[in-house]
Amino acid sequence: MRRDHGADAKTSREVKDGRGGSKLQETIGRSLKAHYSDLVHAPVPDKFLELLAQLELKEQHSPPQESNDER
Amino acid sequence: MSADTFKDALIAEIPNLRAFAASLSGSVTLADDVVQDTLLRAWSNSDKFQEGTNLRAWLFTILRNTYYSHYRKRAREVQDTDGMYAGRLAVAGDQVSHLELADFRKALAKLPPEQREALTMIGATGLSYEEAAEICGVAIGTIKSRLNRARTKLAELLSAEGLEGTRWESRISEAHNARRSNER
Repeated sequence: MRRDHGADAKTSREVKDGRGGSKLQETIGRSLKAHYSDLVHAPVPDKFLELLAQLELKEQHSPPQESNDER
Repeated sequence: MSADTFKDALIAEIPNLRAFAASLSGSVTLADDVVQDTLLRAWSNSDKFQEGTNLRAWLFTILRNTYYSHYRKRAREVQDTDGMYAGRLAVAGDQVSHLELADFRKALAKLPPEQREALTMIGATGLSYEEAAEICGVAIGTIKSRLNRARTKLAELLSAEGLEGTRWESRISEAHNARRSNER
């Protein structure tokens, strides 16, 4: 397979210098946001709401307890 | 903060907690276990949350500690990065092409965890350098250098020729042009 070593070397040098990569960095930033936004917008399973409702109910039926932080 | 207000604030943060957990672990399934654990810990430690401070940063600290002490080992076993996003590309489709996102995710998965974490916190979650540094328990300079290394590594990975023999950027602009001409 033929490869253009000259161009590869230049790209990698520019990347290391932080020069010439600003357009690529813009694209990376945009992709990162899109990727994360996709994760954030995934529907939340009901089990989390049920869990919090249970915790709240438990607290209403018993006096506040000592914190059980195990760290 | 009353229990009710605290509960509502937690509910509002769940989508972000799931996204952050998925970013750390590379697994959507494992992320939900981490989030469930995080919510339980946050609830039992609610008296330690200082009202007026950033709840997201507080929760991310708990989530991160939970993940590294209990789930990191499992994450290595169950990592499903390649398959985890399959069929879930609808939301981002307007701004970024599927191709662009698919390539990006493959490259992101190749970053060392601490670099991926820094990049995610600063580039996507809206946390400040100060908050990210506090969450990770490191100096601000460390976050900055992890972020720089992450960006450099991603640029290297995405500058290399892909399977089709063309670079990421030219494939993206081809996809954009194709879409533009379709719209005409």
